[in-house]
Amino acid sequence: MKGAARKPVQILIFLGVLLLGGYAIGKTLFASKDGLPMPGDKPPEFTLSTLDGRTVSLSDYEGKPVVLNFWGSFCPPCVKEMPEFQRQYDKWKSEGLEVLAVNLSEDNLTVRNFVAGKNLTYPILRDVDKETERRYRLRSYPTTFFIRPDGKLEEVYQGGMTEQDIEERVLKLIEES
Amino acid sequence: MFQNTKCECGHQNPAGTVLCEACGRSLDEGGAAEELLEMRYDGAARRSQKSHPSVLDRIWNFFSSVKIAVYMIVITLIGASLGTIYPQENTFLTTQDLGDYYRDTYGLSGEIYYALGLSHTFESWWFVSLLVLIGTSLVVCSLDRVLPLYRALNKQQIRKHESFLLRQRAAYRGDIEGDPEAWTDRFEQAARKRRYKVIRKDGALLAEKHRFSRWGPYINHIGLIVFLLAVLARAVPAWQMDQYVTIPEGDTVRIEDTNYFVKNEKFTVEFYGDEELPAELKGTLRAKLYRTDAVLYECRSGCTAASGQPELVEVARHPIEVNSPLEYDGLKLYQFDFDNKAVLREVKPVVIDKATGETYGPFTLKMRDPETTFEVGPYRLELKQNFMEFAIGEDGNPITKSRDPKAPAFIFMVYGPGLDEKGEPYIYFPMQKDKAAFSQDKLNAAIADRLEIKVNGMENVSFVEYTTFLNVRKDLAMPYIWVGLGISMLGLVMGAYWHHRRIWLRVDGSRATIGAHTNKNWYGMRADLAAALKAAGNETDPKSLDNGGNRT
Amino acid sequence: MNWLDLSSSAFIAAFFLYCFGFLFYVMAIAGRKWSHGDPAGHERKWGRIAFIVSALGLAAQLTFFFTRWIGQGHIPVSNMYEFMTFLGMAVMLAFVIIFLIYRKPILGMFALPLVIIIIAYASVFPQESQPLIPALNSYWLKIHVTTAALGEAFLAVGFAAGLLHLLRTVDYASKEKSARRERFWVEVTMFMLIVAVGFIISVFSFRMAGYEAEFRQETADVTQAGEAVSNVETVRYTMPPIVQPFNSELLHADAFLGVDEPLLEAPSWMNGINAGRKLNTVVWSLLTGAILYGLLRLAFRKQLGAVIHPMTTDIDPDDLDEISYRAIAIGFPIFTLGALIFAMIWAQIAWSRFWGWDPKEVWALITWLFYSAYLHLRLSRGWHGKRSSWLTVIGFVIIMFTLIGVNLVIAGLHSYAGV
Repeated sequence: MKGAARKPVQILIFLGVLLLGGYAIGKTLFASKDGLPMPGDKPPEFTLSTLDGRTVSLSDYEGKPVVLNFWGSFCPPCVKEMPEFQRQYDKWKSEGLEVLAVNLSEDNLTVRNFVAGKNLTYPILRDVDKETERRYRLRSYPTTFFIRPDGKLEEVYQGGMTEQDIEERVLKLIEES
Repeated sequence: MFQNTKCECGHQNPAGTVLCEACGRSLDEGGAAEELLEMRYDGAARRSQKSHPSVLDRIWNFFSSVKIAVYMIVITLIGASLGTIYPQENTFLTTQDLGDYYRDTYGLSGEIYYALGLSHTFESWWFVSLLVLIGTSLVVCSLDRVLPLYRALNKQQIRKHESFLLRQRAAYRGDIEGDPEAWTDRFEQAARKRRYKVIRKDGALLAEKHRFSRWGPYINHIGLIVFLLAVLARAVPAWQMDQYVTIPEGDTVRIEDTNYFVKNEKFTVEFYGDEELPAELKGTLRAKLYRTDAVLYECRSGCTAASGQPELVEVARHPIEVNSPLEYDGLKLYQFDFDNKAVLREVKPVVIDKATGETYGPFTLKMRDPETTFEVGPYRLELKQNFMEFAIGEDGNPITKSRDPKAPAFIFMVYGPGLDEKGEPYIYFPMQKDKAAFSQDKLNAAIADRLEIKVNGMENVSFVEYTTFLNVRKDLAMPYIWVGLGISMLGLVMGAYWHHRRIWLRVDGSRATIGAHTNKNWYGMRADLAAALKAAGNETDPKSLDNGGNRT
Repeated sequence: MNWLDLSSSAFIAAFFLYCFGFLFYVMAIAGRKWSHGDPAGHERKWGRIAFIVSALGLAAQLTFFFTRWIGQGHIPVSNMYEFMTFLGMAVMLAFVIIFLIYRKPILGMFALPLVIIIIAYASVFPQESQPLIPALNSYWLKIHVTTAALGEAFLAVGFAAGLLHLLRTVDYASKEKSARRERFWVEVTMFMLIVAVGFIISVFSFRMAGYEAEFRQETADVTQAGEAVSNVETVRYTMPPIVQPFNSELLHADAFLGVDEPLLEAPSWMNGINAGRKLNTVVWSLLTGAILYGLLRLAFRKQLGAVIHPMTTDIDPDDLDEISYRAIAIGFPIFTLGALIFAMIWAQIAWSRFWGWDPKEVWALITWLFYSAYLHLRLSRGWHGKRSSWLTVIGFVIIMFTLIGVNLVIAGLHSYAGV
């Protein structure tokens, strides 16, 4: 391997290095932080059953502004904000707003009692064994994800929200649709 | 710099050649005549040495330099040592912000450490870049040297220039008594006895052994390249899985993003008994064994969280211990940790009619997802509400403080003899401490005099005693890692424990001139040469063969 | 007499045999002067005696090792005491192998003190045999630890030969700046070895005197769940506290020279197990070592290097350079196999990852990188002889830091309890 074959070999090796090395280094620069999904990301897909027995996936709602809320009856700020979401849902439903409330793997009776007591009409999704919650890397409850019609995240909000907090963000989502 | 590369013997050598490829004469005109020869790569030109290098050649030459490789190794080792000053981020399982942790624990230096990114040294761009550079250097260096060396060793001239022989580190010149042919024969026999391969041509002789050891370093480098590529391949998401599952004893849990479920049939922890412990450890708990009797299932249908009951088929079963994971189809489950906080699973209470003293039941009340209707003797109990960790909220209504059964409470509507037809509510606390703390009887008021729900004896209470934490791993690149390391080790052994030795002899009239070369272990080289000389008839002290100097 | 008692007796026998072996080696080398005109014969005779005594020592230590193995039912390499004694034995084994190749008695004069120091250092740690915790209960424990120690032992013999080469080649007559600098660093190396002796002396003297002091220390820690917790623990000192643990208060201390209070507090960044106590020990070792060194200097009235240098003049420096290189070339593959490859295999089985950047692992890698740099430098002109001997000294410092220092200042999976 001398003379003529030499240059192609050099180029080949450097291309390989550039490709593989670039991949390795690139991974360190754009490593997922192993945390919550960030604005601009596509939130992880899930398929869960609702309280009334339907099966829904996040992808079913593509094209619509979606508010995805994680809640539990054991979390006081969650309990407090659920009716606020209901009011916003009633107000903007006609504009296409969808609210999905994922329960944090509580048992059947608890969820039913809670929802009946609050007269909630948006879909209540039932997570099982904290699977979805883990996939979203939740650190605290409640956490609410505002998803644009193009399926990407607009904002992640950790902590309880007032109706005003919700409305500001919902309006932004609706504008984009 | 222009260099005349044509040797006196007429051979045209490539640029960068140190010793003539044919006769071995030194092409370095400036070098003092008595100085030892540079024998690296047998004086052949490295591929990269060229009289008019292009940009590509210059980059190539950079990576081809051993000096640069040593610099890269040294920088890498200094960089790696920085990464051991404080614990790395990956030692914490938590996802919370670690900046505060470093500041709070180590003060200002910890803050700087975190800010510089040294808290994740080994995942940082610069450290990975160093590894990539070393990898590149491994490829280029090896390729650049192994081919010329191979050619040089493959077409060795037997008869070498005298200056070549005398400028070897082990050299000899002496007069032969008697027939030179016979002398050379004796020399050859002695060399063969020491397992040299001998070639003779025109009154010259080449004895050589263990040439293969020259390939050791290159084989080692190939192994390291395979290893590094395999490490890189581990970054391919589909080849790699690393997650933790938490399984209370008796439960079956799905392994996220797979079709597998694991059951923790039983968790065992054993401690050393006092008689097994030395005096100063007596009375302490020293763990002897942790074991999860695990069953791995594959899900055939109904596998998503949405679709209710999954259909499971057992595929593997193994008692997982710290040094013994469960393995199935590339998936490995390791014992990682355990928790022995007892969690209530279910109780079997009875219903007592206080008027008659009659006991009915028991019935089974699960803490999670209990049934909602129970027929117990003449009574019917309808479960209306349940609380995992019962408490009274700010507004005076009962709430739950968490989703784990730490202080469970159940509100039944009870129908039956002596009770209101529309049913009467009854709140039941399975745990004695809660019953007292929340004064169950007082809450139940009127009905408490007529009816009681209670558990008779601990045999009717079932706890999850242990929760096991398993680490689930998939690492399809592992075989390549081991192959790479194996190749590398093979190369190391070849290169370190065998030595390439060569002896050149030329006889001119009655004068023998000998040069010998090895890449390691001159002591043994000289001993071999002295033995051969002795057999031939010229006894010499091995040490006197040394040409001196601190060279290769 | 049970196995463990037999084992302890064998250990003591080994220790004394090594000490005598060392003395005989000194006699063989230093005694040539008064050998009545036959220095070579003298060296040969006493060198043989010394070698036989040392080999008997090795046999005694092998007895110690195997009887202890039988006695406690698992291989004795699972705590610091057992590991360090094993390392001492491995250095001895490496020395015997190298000696059989090169037959230079002077090597014994350097290898044996190294073995003696390592073994005496081991005796500082609790010697009771302890049952294994589950993580260590694997046959890879045997394979990984023994191979790694054997590799390190050869590298240590490389250091002994390298240091000898330096003592041989450093110019003790010249007044030039470079020679002065070399003499200084050789002296520093000698001083560090004496500090190791100082450590052993101080531990045993205070242990015999039964010294004790106690502190109450509050430490902050973060649980795996990410919660910050603080622990209060009692730290017991067996040497007078010059340095007290970080964030601690004195409970009681025996008076030493009339002082019963610590002088300083350990810095917060020393976060290994019992870092304060270990720092205190280091300070004491330095002190004792300095006193010992001072006494030796007073006795000889010249640098220690200058004392040894004349004994070395009979040996060819190139031979020493080659012995050093050869020992490292033999040790390097063994080290690679034991400290990296076997370690990876075990880590893969026990902890589910073959490499986790644990400080001990990283330092094993650093050692490996350092010696691979050494081997590459040996290919270049100008890196033989003195320069490469200096590298073996640095390499030995790195090995010792990997084996002991990491446990002292950095916490990790490999932390053993210690003084």
